[in-house]
Amino acid sequence: MASPILQVKDLRTEFTTHDGVVRAVDGVSFDLYPGESLGIVGESGSGKSVTALSLLRLVPSPGRVVGGQVLFHNDDLLQLSDEDMREIRGRDIAMIFQDPQSSLNPVLRTGFQIAEAMLAHQRATRAQSLRRAVELLKRVRIPAAESRARDYPHQLSGGMRQRAMIAMGLANAPAILIADEPTTALDVTVQAQILELLADLNQELGAAVVMITHNMGVVAGLCTRVIVMYAGKIVEQGPVEQIFENPQHPYTWSLLKSIPRVDSLRHERLRSIEGIAPDLLRPPRGCRFHPRCPFRVEKCFSEEPSLKEVKPDQLASCWVTMDRARAEMGADTLLDIRPGAASGVHPGELVD
Amino acid sequence: MATPATIVASQPIAPEQASLWSDAWRKLRRNRLALAGAIYLTFVVAVALTALVYTPYPMAKVGVGIPYTGPSPEHLLGVDTIGRDVLSRLMVGAQVSLLVGVGTQLVVLAIGVPIGLGAGYFRGWFDQVMTFVINLFYGVPNLLVALILVFLLGPSLTNIIVAIASTGWMDMARLVRGQTLSLRERDFIEASRASGARPAKILFGHVLPNALGPIIVQATFGVPAAILFEAFMSFLGLGVPPPMPSWGSMAADGIVAIRIAAYMVVAPALALSLTLMAFNFVGDGLRDALDPRQRR
Repeated sequence: MASPILQVKDLRTEFTTHDGVVRAVDGVSFDLYPGESLGIVGESGSGKSVTALSLLRLVPSPGRVVGGQVLFHNDDLLQLSDEDMREIRGRDIAMIFQDPQSSLNPVLRTGFQIAEAMLAHQRATRAQSLRRAVELLKRVRIPAAESRARDYPHQLSGGMRQRAMIAMGLANAPAILIADEPTTALDVTVQAQILELLADLNQELGAAVVMITHNMGVVAGLCTRVIVMYAGKIVEQGPVEQIFENPQHPYTWSLLKSIPRVDSLRHERLRSIEGIAPDLLRPPRGCRFHPRCPFRVEKCFSEEPSLKEVKPDQLASCWVTMDRARAEMGADTLLDIRPGAASGVHPGELVD
Repeated sequence: MATPATIVASQPIAPEQASLWSDAWRKLRRNRLALAGAIYLTFVVAVALTALVYTPYPMAKVGVGIPYTGPSPEHLLGVDTIGRDVLSRLMVGAQVSLLVGVGTQLVVLAIGVPIGLGAGYFRGWFDQVMTFVINLFYGVPNLLVALILVFLLGPSLTNIIVAIASTGWMDMARLVRGQTLSLRERDFIEASRASGARPAKILFGHVLPNALGPIIVQATFGVPAAILFEAFMSFLGLGVPPPMPSWGSMAADGIVAIRIAAYMVVAPALALSLTLMAFNFVGDGLRDALDPRQRR
């Protein structure tokens, strides 16, 4: 495999609040390879968006990156001057935000906003930028691009606005495109179109795409590799097919189990993951998923597992792993997924 | 080739509502009071411009008529206490009022907008210092600040503008700061930052255009306030230096004769009141027209 274009090493981002320090991203490491499409999935509050913002050093106050490295072309982005970092943003690493309704400036014409992304890096003159903005709008398949470029954002539909946002992201032909839940605010048919567009652009332009989402279906449709985050940490990562086929972390397994299936029987209840995501002000001791995990063992309550290779290219941080849960706890036929249900380990029975 | 589907796609579905500004203009035209105010103000501007090249009599010339004579065909608004033509002086007074009103607001914009933008966007020590200074200025009576400044700088049109602006910039700075504080959290500012825009570009290219509506309204209301302030200072004898007429100083000159020649007070007072009212109507109209929540 080629050498990575972006290497994230032990990234840590904290938010200082009145109640204490929230470690929103707690030691995240991963590599991104040129032209690949990497999915980062997790629940709300798992730290996936903050990870993305940390890469661009756009974490909103009171948050700040407190440790780690983000290596891009041998430069640590976290050490660059503000001006150098500004040049990287939009030129080398671009970002697409969740809500296209509010991510375009309502008082500026769409084409002009796309042109601005080029002007910010002195890539072209004003006239050239405006012309290229129209080309970009065509490229993201907006019909009647010339007249749309002269429209204000409120005159565009939600899907068109997201296409315009993508056009803005592509303006400087970045090496990396980070998409933070780009389809969440759109309805399902438009979601599919946007995903298809992103997949095509990933192929055509060879830009690496980092897709941040809580939707496993999006990952399956677009990504080649996936990182699963839980409570600020990576719990599992690996090739998409492998992880969908054979997840090793109980959290990934639960996430995949909770996707409603068209072919399921009516009387089957929709599976959700029991419990709620942990309070990051007071994260649980040991494995952070143990309060919700059906397969937990004693060790999970006290010792934190680290990310290890469980299969070729597949890493998971779990003391049990699903292979063992299947073999010893009957995970495949499990109906009761309450915490500790499969392993029979409950905190009250533990003797400290 | 032109299937119905492509025709639909190339036509905007929303009606031609174009931009915020054309929409605002449409609403402003429908507001009768604002329209009347705007027409009156156009008339005042025309009068002020006319006075540059033509007045019935030279405005400073004494003895063009018999002092204390009321309106007559020769002197439409009468003659003042030392025999100067009131209409001529009223026309030149319009220049002074407009210059003071608009000039003050330009200074206020030049000071208040950058301070508000900077304080609201960068926060930190600059915001704290500026908030302190603003509160300091609020703590001192406006008239006192203006009078002291005019005393120190000497009475001239420019100095009066500076003096009035120095009492009025805080409102603008505060308004812009508040707008910036809320706008800086909006997604499109974040998106702009993520595309590598410089802070200056974000402030003047993204924040300011979005705050322009409230700023225009505030400035429009600031104009009559400044005109009134100038009239007040002139009435106290600290306005534009004679023989330059100001509506305030004309009223002050006439007040001694109010029992025998009321027209000397009434004419400038009426001109002043109508102008203030017109500005306020236009300001109200703009506020309604530029408020996106009031879509009718």
